[in-house]
Amino acid sequence: MRFKPLHLKLLRDLGRMKGQTLAVSLVMACGLAMMIMARSLIYSLETTRDTYYQENRFGDVFADLKRAPNFLRQRLATISDVAAVETRVIGRLTLDLPGLNEPADGVVISLPDDRPQQLNRLFLRRGRFPEPGRRGEVVVGEAFAEVHGFGPDNQISALLRGRRETLTIVGIALSPEYVFEARPGETLPDNKRFGVFWMNERELATALDLDGAFNNVVVDVAPGGDTLAVIAALDDRLANYGALGAISRRDHPSAVRLNDELAVLRTLAVAFPLVFLSIAAFMASAVLSRLVRLQREQIAQLKAFGYSARQVGAHYFQFALVIVAIGTLAGGLGGFWIGGNVVNIYHRFFRFPSLVFHPDLSAIFLAFVVSAGASFLGVYGSVRQAMRLPPAEAMRPEPPASYRPSLVERLGWSRWLTPTLRMALRNIERRPWQAFFTALGLALAAGIPIVPCAFREGIEYLLGFQWDVAQRQHVTVSLFEPASATAAASIAHLPGVLLAEPYRAVPARIRFGNHSRRLEVTGFSREATLRRVLDARERSIPLPPDGLLVSAKLAELLGAEAGDVVSLEIQEGNRPRRNAVIRGLITDYAGIFAYMDKESLHRLMREGPTVSGAYLWLDPERWLDFLKEVKNTPRIAAMMIKNTVRESFRKTTAETINLVQSLYFSFSVVVAFGVVYNSARIALSERSRDLATLRVIGFSTWEVAGVLVTELVLLTLVAIPFGLLLGSGLAAGIVATASTESVRLPLRLTSQMYATAVFIVLSAATVSFAIVSWRIRELDLVGALKAPE
Amino acid sequence: MIPGHASPTEAPATAKRLVYCARGLTKVYRTGEVEVRALAGVDLDLHEGQLVVLLGASGSGKSTLLNILGGLDIPSSGSLHYHDTELTHSDEAFLTRFRRDSVGFVFQFYNLIPSLTARENVSLITDISVNPIAPEEALALVGLQDRMDHFPSQLSGGEQQRVAIARAIAKQPEVLLCDEPTGALDVRTGVQVLSAIQRVNQELGTLTLLITHNAVLAKMADRVIHVSDGQITHIETNAHRLPVSELSW
Repeated sequence: MRFKPLHLKLLRDLGRMKGQTLAVSLVMACGLAMMIMARSLIYSLETTRDTYYQENRFGDVFADLKRAPNFLRQRLATISDVAAVETRVIGRLTLDLPGLNEPADGVVISLPDDRPQQLNRLFLRRGRFPEPGRRGEVVVGEAFAEVHGFGPDNQISALLRGRRETLTIVGIALSPEYVFEARPGETLPDNKRFGVFWMNERELATALDLDGAFNNVVVDVAPGGDTLAVIAALDDRLANYGALGAISRRDHPSAVRLNDELAVLRTLAVAFPLVFLSIAAFMASAVLSRLVRLQREQIAQLKAFGYSARQVGAHYFQFALVIVAIGTLAGGLGGFWIGGNVVNIYHRFFRFPSLVFHPDLSAIFLAFVVSAGASFLGVYGSVRQAMRLPPAEAMRPEPPASYRPSLVERLGWSRWLTPTLRMALRNIERRPWQAFFTALGLALAAGIPIVPCAFREGIEYLLGFQWDVAQRQHVTVSLFEPASATAAASIAHLPGVLLAEPYRAVPARIRFGNHSRRLEVTGFSREATLRRVLDARERSIPLPPDGLLVSAKLAELLGAEAGDVVSLEIQEGNRPRRNAVIRGLITDYAGIFAYMDKESLHRLMREGPTVSGAYLWLDPERWLDFLKEVKNTPRIAAMMIKNTVRESFRKTTAETINLVQSLYFSFSVVVAFGVVYNSARIALSERSRDLATLRVIGFSTWEVAGVLVTELVLLTLVAIPFGLLLGSGLAAGIVATASTESVRLPLRLTSQMYATAVFIVLSAATVSFAIVSWRIRELDLVGALKAPE
Repeated sequence: MIPGHASPTEAPATAKRLVYCARGLTKVYRTGEVEVRALAGVDLDLHEGQLVVLLGASGSGKSTLLNILGGLDIPSSGSLHYHDTELTHSDEAFLTRFRRDSVGFVFQFYNLIPSLTARENVSLITDISVNPIAPEEALALVGLQDRMDHFPSQLSGGEQQRVAIARAIAKQPEVLLCDEPTGALDVRTGVQVLSAIQRVNQELGTLTLLITHNAVLAKMADRVIHVSDGQITHIETNAHRLPVSELSW
């Protein structure tokens, strides 16, 4: 193949501009990498999830109830639009694990003995299902098994409804209802202390005193069926069996968690790339307008030879295309690489039979089209301008640039300015848009690092707020079932307990107008010192003598405010309905809660001094004694150790935050470096004659470098404060997007994160300055004396 | 005219200090496989206060000689002394210092900084010089006292070149090097510029080298050096140099 002369010109011109081509391409690549990564991850997660849900028949509607006879299953199956019904027995167990001082807990779900699983079918990773009639055999969820290194034939000691059992692991499995293998409502999995188990239905039912009965239903709604109608019918038929109200897949804890993640990815797929691409488009436009200005004469000659405006225009647009192609390629590779790594992290949160990273090839295509479009817009103006010139006029050199005193001088402050500063200010005023976009790029670079820093700081603050200021207890224990005051007393007598504050927690659906949420209404003493509720400024709010204090987020979700009366549908005991007044809103960052004075809650429930658990302050010296005794206390269902939860939270988030932080920091470096390098190179080429003249008349290399970079230094210094502002806004926006019912990150901005951002931008800019300044040594001094370009 | 100075028509006093002493200067440029001999053995002495015109066709090597004298280029062989200092083997930092303190340049295309006014273009130099005259004084010397706050784009070619001359002489250099200073100007403007150069030479006593291919200008010089093919063919000395206003071309 023979290259056409214009193609050869293109290649050689690009070769000369390789530094700038690369700088623009890299900034573009950052935006594209983000977009391709996010879109590919969305694609991977969605296809994997949909296939998994379908192949393993994840249910559409779920209901918990107290106890219903097995024959009810047939009747439930007759509900219109119901395609399949699975009834199950579900219980909780406490585990005594080797090497783990504190107790772990788990959920145990029945597997039908007499028929194959219909819905929420397990994906068996290793081993086998429990054999019918064989006692103590269980299948264990993969995440839990992996953390503990459990495999088939390992044995675990567990307390099941107060009875100690030795369970033999026969298989490791995954379930579509535990893609996110965590306690319902938890933001992050705690695989060390929470596991999911499956065992034969008959054995489990016996252990839980549910012989011939079930306490959980999963329903598959027929394609096109009315899920809401099914939920209503199910609620109706289970009303007499202590049902807690059916939920659809949309509200299923594991599915919700996965959807939350997809929502965050969708924001990332749009917002970030847009900003990067506009900066890159500007950079491309600046480079190419410079090129077109430099090549005025060549353009005139081409036109004089008879090349059409279209051909010449296409030639310059090809420059943009090459930059876009390099950017897309680098962005694609980067996006796939980052995506591949993120998938590995996802594997720790979301358990699929296989979560493979599927590159979204349409994203690459889209990326190319979007960035080509953006650069086309950038290049169009300058090419059109060059094409409009008649050849004869274009062959004359450009008239000398006209300048005027800058604003600062017009204001009468000129005597404060050195000649170098004057040149810089006048240059900025002569090309305000170029200056604006350069500053915008630098502001972006300064803003980007704020985002991950704000995340990190937000998490730290949240941990401190939730677990140091609001909850001062060392440990929270919860009982299997509400118990009398004597139970509270026995907890207080556990070894090492210095202070025990009992609490009462009642599961309820809180309803206001058309909105409702399921939660626990928690009551504790107004004199409690361990557990407190706080306002946004960390001040303790006293519990009112009656009525509720609710999470501000809950009030927002319900559309209620202080003074409103909400209805509480209690889902315990004989399931009374009560009204309660919201007396005030509280600040919290994880979950949604309603609090009451304990006595007032007892009155609401019309019960005596019942307890659901206790907050404990412990003697650290007797910690191990305490743990040992807890493991042998059957009525304790679960125990939350503050430090453990906090550490686990920190550890689980650390890896993600670190990855995000290094990504964002790199992006910031690329943008700061790229923008400064590009602008400095353009300035160098536009002003090489001036700079060479300065060298000739006796300026040293460093003095000339000073002249070259002063303008950029000024822009950098102006851009940084705006960048920090922009970054703070960006962080606020992203934190708000990532805020869900389960976690709301507080926006914390510190001077340290600002310092980090400034440091990153200044370092990248300095390196850029240094590289370009080095080129001043190569200025052609003798050439400067000859005719202007 | 500054009182006390000699008239431009008088020949300079003899026995002036030697400023440059060049022996056997050669300069060879290699571009790819082609070798161009720009200077082929030049011997030359230049004394203070002289106005010297370098005459020659284009490509004769006069610009190369001027660049070497100005510390912009180094010879391939030979020796060049500036007073007692050997320039031939000096490093870049020294040459920068040399250009800053001792040499004023005037170029064919003025080479002013477009973003600075006339006055600021001059003060760019006076700010970094050891013993400068005020920018205003330098501009007055070239007749631009009324155009000091104009930007280059607001000045005519002749005015721009006079700003360049003011910039070159404001540091009171010992040497003023002018490379075709009137090459881009019409005759009338050229006369103004050359008058300014002659006046500076006369009033400040600056050794002035002026490159031209216009033989008429030879009459304004003390010495005329003819350059051809990288060599000095002959040197003329004018007993009486003419004021520029009396020249015509």
